[in-house]
Amino acid sequence: MAIGKSVPMLDSVARVTGTVPYASNLKLPDMLVGKVFRSSVPHARTIKLDVSAAEQLPGVVAIVTAADFAGDDTPNLHFGSTIQDQPVVAGDRIRFIGEPVALIAAESVVIADQAMDLIELEYEEIPAIFDAEEALLPGAPVLHEAFPDNLLGHSKLRRGDIEAGFAAADEIFEEVFSSPVAQQASLETQVAAARWKDGKLTVWTGSQSPYTVRRVLSAIFDLDVEDVRVIVPPLGGGFGGKGNIRTQPMAAALAWKVGDRPVKLVMTRAEEFLTVTKHAAKIIVKSGVKLDGTFTARKVTIYWNAGAYASSSAHLVPAGMLRALGPYRIPAGHVDSYGIYTNLPIAAAYRGAMSSQGVFAHESHMDTIAHRLGIDPLELRIKNLLRTDDIFATGERLHDIHFVECLEAAADGLGWHEPLQRENGTVKKRGRGVAVMMKNTIANSSSECRIKLDAEGRVTLYTSTVETGQGGHTAMAQIAAEALGVPIEALTVIGPDTAETPPDAQTASSRSTHMMGNAVLNGAASLRQHLAEAAAPILEWSPEDLSVADGYVFVTTQPQERIPYAEVLGRKNIAALTATGKYWTNEGKLDPETGQGISTPDWHQGAGACEVEVDTQTGKVTVLRYHSASFAGRVVNPTLAGLQNDGNVIFGLGASLLEEVAIDGGQITNPNLSDYMLPSFLDIPVELKNVSLEAEGSTFQGIGEMTLPPVAPAIANAIYDAVGARIRDLPLTAEKVLRVIHEQGEADDEQ
Amino acid sequence: MNKAKPMMSNRTLTLQVNGQPQTLEVPSGQILLETLREALDLVGARNSCGIGMCGTCTVLVDGMAISSCLTLTAQVEGKHITTIEGLSQNGQLHPVQQAYIDHGAFQCAYCTPGLILSTVALLNEHVNPDDATVREYLAGNLCRCGSYVNILNAVRACHTIND
Repeated sequence: MAIGKSVPMLDSVARVTGTVPYASNLKLPDMLVGKVFRSSVPHARTIKLDVSAAEQLPGVVAIVTAADFAGDDTPNLHFGSTIQDQPVVAGDRIRFIGEPVALIAAESVVIADQAMDLIELEYEEIPAIFDAEEALLPGAPVLHEAFPDNLLGHSKLRRGDIEAGFAAADEIFEEVFSSPVAQQASLETQVAAARWKDGKLTVWTGSQSPYTVRRVLSAIFDLDVEDVRVIVPPLGGGFGGKGNIRTQPMAAALAWKVGDRPVKLVMTRAEEFLTVTKHAAKIIVKSGVKLDGTFTARKVTIYWNAGAYASSSAHLVPAGMLRALGPYRIPAGHVDSYGIYTNLPIAAAYRGAMSSQGVFAHESHMDTIAHRLGIDPLELRIKNLLRTDDIFATGERLHDIHFVECLEAAADGLGWHEPLQRENGTVKKRGRGVAVMMKNTIANSSSECRIKLDAEGRVTLYTSTVETGQGGHTAMAQIAAEALGVPIEALTVIGPDTAETPPDAQTASSRSTHMMGNAVLNGAASLRQHLAEAAAPILEWSPEDLSVADGYVFVTTQPQERIPYAEVLGRKNIAALTATGKYWTNEGKLDPETGQGISTPDWHQGAGACEVEVDTQTGKVTVLRYHSASFAGRVVNPTLAGLQNDGNVIFGLGASLLEEVAIDGGQITNPNLSDYMLPSFLDIPVELKNVSLEAEGSTFQGIGEMTLPPVAPAIANAIYDAVGARIRDLPLTAEKVLRVIHEQGEADDEQ
Repeated sequence: MNKAKPMMSNRTLTLQVNGQPQTLEVPSGQILLETLREALDLVGARNSCGIGMCGTCTVLVDGMAISSCLTLTAQVEGKHITTIEGLSQNGQLHPVQQAYIDHGAFQCAYCTPGLILSTVALLNEHVNPDDATVREYLAGNLCRCGSYVNILNAVRACHTIND
């Protein structure tokens, strides 16, 4: 049994010897260096762009500007996976500081940097808008003429009579929460290299979405999709930031202009912050509650700051809507989720995308309610959490629901019911908090794979699942090995290459283990069938009388009559047997006015519980202990699952306590890992534990994000428990905690 | 108007890289990370933050862990440089590398060569370090995937290697 074992990652030796072939290591013959000339103003009309001096610099091979897209036979300037609003390079309009304006291909970085200094850009600034809510106001500067109110998407959820629900409540609670712009900060930055040959394009890139990249590049260059080949080696981290389309169009356009040499474009750390960010969000939560802690209604309004172009926001805004109410029994629920253009860099998925912001809001809100009503925060949640067969706000009947088990596992791990020593006679005070999350996955999507068994008994799995570091290829190999009855050592996994590996929506939203995992099971079942058919004439039984397992085809009623796989192929003179596997879901088609329908094949579920210490003199928060739980259904690899759970918590600690992209007039002022701090060894709790919950009869469920969104509210709730300070604005910095402590002190003095 | 910057002069120097003398002609302002990656094709040291904050470019210079993105190649002339490629001997993984595999102490592994080299340096300086020492020592090597708990377990296991 390969499933359920902590098999080391298939390429572990490469990982500890430094030989993983990341895109950033790619070297091709005659390869040129790509460089991006960027805008320095947030909103402007371009008057003149002069690249002639730069073009004449020796060693500069090509410069791409919007003028290269202006003819009839030229590529299309604008692209987008959903809304085609984004130019490869800015044309007559600049919409954020750092927007690409010109692209340089040169013999070296030194020459490219010199060419940058020779580019002259004249522009006329126009008023800019940075705040999402203000961008909706009449008279606000408009970014895209096709969207005169700056609204790129508005998702609505309408369930029950909301006003009657509030009228029936004993108490109404309304709070406003905010989350800042953050950055995914993969340690390997964005990379794309491109080469054209005979009118066909090949791109090597660190991307979570190889098939989206292929589709969009084929649209930009008016090519058949088969004439675009996208190859994705293992990634040095992704976390959502490498999903959708990022730098690939720029690399492809440079190589197109150059003609006969490949061009590689690698973002600097500072450019990474200009390439993709996390959505800042303002969230207003209003709840009607009975004194016994029963909910009567909840209304949530979310303003997502999408930045200058829609990118993946068009489909993320509806996802944010679904996750906003929280996993609770609430008879009347309304959500308005607004995706809004502003003059900031593009926002897109950041691990726990569109969940973390909403979970911070509804889980902090739950504690406000619990404390006011005098109910234990854990008890209030358990009383109201959704169970299997409950009807969710979309009208869908829920299945495989384990919110209570997740929350109890985390709380029990922490010792929620044990006494807590809150003070020890110093300025430090301790408190505890819990939180729980729900998220839908990408519905209405499909995954395919191909499995090949050769005459030596080796199995090759072709999959477009991206190895982001999550161990996706190892998990797929385990699933294939078990389903085919071969040792894991017999498996080779061929990663994403659109010329070789079948289509897959993308490696995102924790979908791969479930979607691709089930595609692998489907493909393995076909391959077993092929084996039975091939072995039938040899064993002189019909295929339906044969079984295929543990390396043998055998007669089901007489297992001693058997033949090894390799021998089947050898005796039939077959070089290899191949089968394709597919898995898809058709959910996700919701009524646009009410959000009613079946939103997701499965709900992702997770929880967390923590103990913090707050220094009341400095405001510094230390997370001493953290316990997380996710619902895994069936665990494929316990070590890798544990790394997802712990990794989520650590990622969440960054967003909770440290991470905020500081922006002044549209200018990011901390685009480096000194001023934008990521969690280090010194930031993690001394006690950090996790559990992946399984259930009888369950299949593999995604766990790539589930323990992340609860982190911020669990800590915020623990801070409140410790010192009575409610922080509604992430990150939970010492300055904010101290300010609230001081405000409380002043209020106490006045009484 | 010519705003082109003056070209850097080149310099010939010899480094001891993974036990082998390497005589190279490099621009005098070139950082060690670039020399390793571009001139010697030793890509286990990686660029990430470019300012010595993340540790992905860590290599050992005379046994000490340093950020090769902040070190000029000319500064380490004649010194012994160990990169991740030089850690395994005769195809045998170094015990620290094996411990990282045994304890699942990596995910994307972009940080892993730097962390392993820092661990080697840590164990050169400290016999059986306690957890607090390990955390402090390795705090300069970021792991964005968040494998810290397993890394700590791997380092603890290395203690017995030293014994």
